[in-house]
Order: sequence, then structure tokens, then C-alpha cells
Amino acid sequence: MGSVPFIRRLLTLVLLTVLQVLFLNRICLFGYVTPLFYIWMIARFDSSMSRSSILTWAFVLGLLIDMFSATPGLNAASATLLAMFQPGLVKLFVTLDRHDVFVPGFMSMGGRQFAGYLLLLTLLHHTVYFILRSIPLGDWSVLALKVVFSALLTFIFMLVAEHVSVASGQKHS
Amino acid sequence: MRSLLDFIVKHSYVFLFILLETLSLVLLFGFNDRQNEAFMTSANTMSGTLLEWRTGVEHYFGLRRENTALLEENARLRSLLYELTDSQCVETERALSSEGVIAARVIDNTIRKDDNYITIDKGERDGIAPGMGVYSPDGVVGSVMVTGNRYSIIMPVLNGSTSISCKIKGSESFGFLEWQGGDPYVAQISDMPYHSIVGIGDTIVTTGFSSVFPENIPVGKVAGVERSSNGYTLKVKVNLAIDISDLRWVYVHSSTRDAEIDGLYKQIK
Repeated sequence: MGSVPFIRRLLTLVLLTVLQVLFLNRICLFGYVTPLFYIWMIARFDSSMSRSSILTWAFVLGLLIDMFSATPGLNAASATLLAMFQPGLVKLFVTLDRHDVFVPGFMSMGGRQFAGYLLLLTLLHHTVYFILRSIPLGDWSVLALKVVFSALLTFIFMLVAEHVSVASGQKHS
Repeated sequence: MRSLLDFIVKHSYVFLFILLETLSLVLLFGFNDRQNEAFMTSANTMSGTLLEWRTGVEHYFGLRRENTALLEENARLRSLLYELTDSQCVETERALSSEGVIAARVIDNTIRKDDNYITIDKGERDGIAPGMGVYSPDGVVGSVMVTGNRYSIIMPVLNGSTSISCKIKGSESFGFLEWQGGDPYVAQISDMPYHSIVGIGDTIVTTGFSSVFPENIPVGKVAGVERSSNGYTLKVKVNLAIDISDLRWVYVHSSTRDAEIDGLYKQIK
């Protein structure tokens, strides 16, 4: 493992944890809707990473969020599950070339494919997250509302993040 | 044999996945050990420090309002002090000697409709223990659930597991206040005796039966009364006195009577 990608990932991990814990956890629209934007890191895992490394990073990210949010194991469980399916989700939308490193994004996938990928990824994570959180399961309709609207909010945050990263990338090049 | 080994190496991530997922679920569902709980939640030093830093910045912008609130509280306490007669003073002093109040700052506060927790900046080293009652100048907040060394987590009224013994001010009719979820400003007393005289707008206060809260801490005001389905008790809807989303300072009530009362309860059990 190269040290530059490692340090960059570590910085992303810390930044997303701080953002989620200090600011995003405070958002609670209509008492139900909270964005879980930290999964942005998992959405952007590239094809050079081994499956084990993807799982480990996602688990650590989830566990860190849990430690600061009084939800032991909740984010760790849902983030690890998402990480297990992330490479498969990418392959649903693009055919990977074995030689190049592929980073999911607007540029590499095209707008529509990338939006579809993000939406599916977010829905999968939020469904697991809210089911685990609501056990014992009570009202299915409330659960569905939480999943759908929180996923939409997370999705919007991720689109903005991607827009910012594309714009800043163009400025540098 | 070789191909089996190859298979295991190639799919080692599946075993890692099972291991990490099991670990997460054990954390999520198998939590009973208080020490672990304190470590895994915002009661641990690292996350406490981070949350405290954020609150420090936020509080700075609300200092003027906070000052006014403290002045008002001071004025109210002074007026109560002047009303006390000498004999009452002696009695109060005796009562206070067995009761302690620890002031703490709220550093994190989740107001979601299904589970709510408050983190405060005082912990075991300041004398806080699980089960102690927490209130603000406005009214009852909840009770201490988990303690870390420097921080503690409070389970507020707005939590399905909270039950607070309370009564109508000036009468002896009492019941247990519980929160049914939904509106963060409304809770319910479901087992008030049927013969109780309850009117809309009556003040609900703590009973002081348990050692968790002192007597007469405001809880809220009666918003509605109806007969329970069993016909023997009343359901009283209560507008809560505190706005948990706007909570900055709280008092933790520590009573030395705890040990004695706990001992008696154990004897009964």
C-alpha cells in the first residue's frame, strides 16, 4: 500500500467523521430526516483497493462515527455491509478495465450512471441503517419514510460534494 | 488441498466481512457492560472533548441570553430565601446537607423522535453516578444513564424508557410520567387515580418519593385529561416545562439518602 493514498484516505476519514458528528448529526428535519453523508468515502473507493482493505476502512469509519454518536455498532454494521457490496454496485453501472485504476465519479461514469450508482448505494445503506436502528421493528411506513427522505438528503449532499470536487479538479488542471 | 487453500486465500475478505459484521452486531445488541458503554458512546474522553469544543464555540454566541437566564434564576432564588422563616432555614439546611447539586454544561443533545440522549461535561470524578436525577431551572430533564470519567450521558424525559414519579402541585394524587414518542413537548401520565381532581393548566411537579429528584421540581402543565380504557385511572396529557432542544446548563441531583433507600428496596426484593 502506497503511503500517499493511505494518508489521503486517513484525512478523508477524519474530515468526514468530524463533519458528520459535529454538524450533520444535528440536522433532523421533521424529526426523522438526517443525512448520513459519511458514506461518501465508501462511494468513492477506487478499483485499486483490495476487498479486505475496503471492508476495514468502512468498518473503522463506521465505528468512529458510532463512538461520537452514542450508537455503538450501528454505523459500523451498516457501513461494513455497504463496503461488501460497493465493488459489485460499481460493476452494475460500468464495465471495468482491469489495467486502469477506476474512481467512481461524474467524469469516469457519466452523470446518469453515477447518479444511479449513488442512489442505489445510499438506499442500500440507509435501509440497513434504519432497520437496525428501529429494532424491534414497529411501524413499517415510518421506517420507509425515514429511509427514503434521509437517502434523498444524503444523495443531494453527495451530488454537491461531487460537483465541488469536479470543479476544484478543473481549476487545478 | 492446494485448490482449497487458494480458494480460502482468494475469498479471505468474506471471512473478514463476517468477522467485522459480527463484531458490529455484538456491539449493537450485546451491550450490558457499563465500562464498554461509556467507552463506545459520547461519554468517552475523546468524543467528549470534541463535543465540548463545539459547544464552547456555540455557547459563546449565546452568552447574553444565558446571562439573563442566570440573573433571573438568581433573583427567583433570592426572593425564596427572603420568604424563609428562621425555623424553616434550620430545616432546609438540614435537608440540604444530605442533598448535593452538581451544575453541568450540556455538550451534546440529540432530539430525534425515537431515541434521545444528552451528554454533559461532568462524570464520575465530579461525583456523578448512574440513576441520579437531572433538572434545569425550568424543570425536570431526566436521569443519568451512563457515566465516563469526565462525561456522562443523560436519558431525558423524551426517551421511551424514562418514567418519572410526579404529582399535581398542591394535591397528593400521583402517577408516572412517560413519553410516547412523537411531539417533543408533550408527555403523558397514564395511571393517575380516577378520583383525582385534575384541571387543565394545573402544574405537575415531582413527588420526591424516590431519591432521584427532590420534591416540587416542575415537570409541566396539564393539557388534557381523559379516562383510561380500564376505567379505573386517568390519562393526563402534560405539556413539558422544558425545551430540551434549547438546554445549555443542568443540575444533577445527588442524594446521600440513595444508599439507604436502595438498601431498603433490596430487602423487599
